[in-house]
Amino acid sequence: MKLLRDLLDKQVVDREQVKIGKIDGLVVELRQGKPPRIIAIELGSITLARRLGAGPGLWMARLAAKLGGKRHGEPHRIAWHKVRDIGTDIEFDVDVRQTSIFAWQDWLRDHVIGRIPGA
Amino acid sequence: MKKLVEISLGVVTSVGGFLEVGSMATAAQAGATFGFQLIWAVVLGTICIIFLVEMAGRFAAVSHHTICDGIRERFGFNVFVWPLLATFLLSLMVLSAEIGGVAIALELATGIGFQWWALPVAFLAWLLLWKGTFGLIEKGVSMLGLVTLCFVVAAVMLKPDWTAVAAGAVPSLPAHDTASYWFMSVSILGASISPYLFMFYSSGAIEDQWDKSYLGANRAIAGLGMSFGGTISVGVLIVAALVLATHGIDQVDDYHQLPLMLIPVFGFWGFVLFVASLAIACFGATLEVGLQQAYLVAQGFGWTWGEDRKPRDNPGFSAVYTVSLFLAAIPIMLGLDPLRLTIFSMALTAASLPLTVVPFLFLLNDKRYVGEHRNGILSNAAVIFIIALGFVLAVVTIPLQIFGGT
Repeated sequence: MKLLRDLLDKQVVDREQVKIGKIDGLVVELRQGKPPRIIAIELGSITLARRLGAGPGLWMARLAAKLGGKRHGEPHRIAWHKVRDIGTDIEFDVDVRQTSIFAWQDWLRDHVIGRIPGA
Repeated sequence: MKKLVEISLGVVTSVGGFLEVGSMATAAQAGATFGFQLIWAVVLGTICIIFLVEMAGRFAAVSHHTICDGIRERFGFNVFVWPLLATFLLSLMVLSAEIGGVAIALELATGIGFQWWALPVAFLAWLLLWKGTFGLIEKGVSMLGLVTLCFVVAAVMLKPDWTAVAAGAVPSLPAHDTASYWFMSVSILGASISPYLFMFYSSGAIEDQWDKSYLGANRAIAGLGMSFGGTISVGVLIVAALVLATHGIDQVDDYHQLPLMLIPVFGFWGFVLFVASLAIACFGATLEVGLQQAYLVAQGFGWTWGEDRKPRDNPGFSAVYTVSLFLAAIPIMLGLDPLRLTIFSMALTAASLPLTVVPFLFLLNDKRYVGEHRNGILSNAAVIFIIALGFVLAVVTIPLQIFGGT
C-alpha cells in the first residue's frame, strides 16, 4: 500500500458511518532497520494549514486555541489501530460524539443553526 | 419502464436546470449584435458540457465519489485548494447574478426596483433549502423551468431562415466589432460550460444513490438533457436576433430591453412568459448554485452533507449555503447592475475552466476509480480539447474583457 496515495485525503467515517472529515495528515513512526509504521491519522484545520506551510500552520493553531481553548490548539488524532475498514471511505471504530472533532459543529448547532426556526 | 421514467425525469431536470441568467443574457446579447453568427459558440459549449456532465455522472456512479471528493483525494489538499477557492468565489458571483436575474424579473413584474428584491429572493431560496429535500429542489423547480421552452416555440413561430441558422452553427469571422465578438463567444462558452453544473450533477448522482446500473441512464440524461438545454439557448439567440435587431436594439446593455423579445409572437403574454422564464430559470439556478456551495465545502473538508438531512444534524453544511446566499444578495441589494455582473462572471468562469477540467483527464482514466468504465478515445479527445480551449480562454478573457466587454 502506498500511504500517501491510498490513505491521505480520503473520507473518514466513524462507526455509525458519520462523515467526520478527511485524512488530513498521517502520523508515522520511523523505526531503525524496519519499514515505517503509521500510528495515527490527523484531522482538522491545523493539519491542513500545516500542509500549506509552517506559517499558516502556526497561525491556524493559534487561531484554533484562541477560539476553542487549549485542547483545540493541537490537531485531532485517531489511533491507527482503531481502523476497521478501508474502502471508498475509511472507517474507524470511534464515535465522533465522544471526540472533540465536531466541537465547532456542535457550537454552531447550539448557538446559531439550532436557534433558527425549522432547523 | 422504471428506468425510462427515471431517464425522462432526468432529462426534464437538466433541461429545466440548463437555462439560467448567464445563458439567457449572453445568448440575447449575441443575437442582438451579431444575428445568428454566434450560434456556433452555443453549440460548441453544449457539446463540451455534454461530455463533462456524462463523465461527472459516470465517475460518481462507478466510484461513489463526487468530482470534488475525487479531486481532493487524487491530487491532495495542496492542489485541491485552488479549484476549491476559485469555484467557491466564482460561484458566489454567479449566485449574485442569479439572484439579480430573479430580482430584475420581479422589478419588471411589479415596478419596484430590483435592489429591494435581492434579500427577499435570497431568503425564499434559503427557506427552500432549509426546509426542502433534494428531490423537491431538483425535480420541482426544474419542472417549472420548462416554461423556458417558450423561447423555442417563439423561435420557430418567427420563421427564421433555417439555412442562415445552420450557417451560424459554423464559426466565422465577424464583419464588425471584432473584440466584442470574441468576448461574447467567451461569455457564451463560460455560461454553457459551468463548473457548478457538472459538480452539482455528480453530487446529485450520489444523493440519488447511483450505481453502475445507471450508466446508460446517465449517458441519455447528459446527452438529451444538455442538448435540449442548448436548444433553448439557441432559441433565445434566434429570437433576440430577429426581434431585438428589427426594433433597433443592436446592443443589449440593460435587462429592460429584453422583455420585448417575446411580445411580437405572444403579445401581452409574451411579456408574462419572459418575466416568468427569467424569474424561474434564475431562481432554479439560485437554489442549485447555493446548494452546490455547501456541497463543495462539505465534500472538500469531509463533513456530513446531504440536502435531505435536517439543518440541525448538518450545521456546517447548512451554514455554508446560508452564508453564501446572504453574501450573494449584498451586491444586488447595493444596486450593482445584474447584467454586467452576469457577463463578467460568465467570462471569468470560462477563464477558470482549466482548474476544474484538467482533473477530469486524470480521474476518468484512473482504474482505481472508474475501473473498466474509464474514458474511451472519444471522451479523452473531448477532455483534451476542452482543456486546450480552457487555457486559450484563460489567456484571452482578461484582454477581451478590457477591449470588448460591455
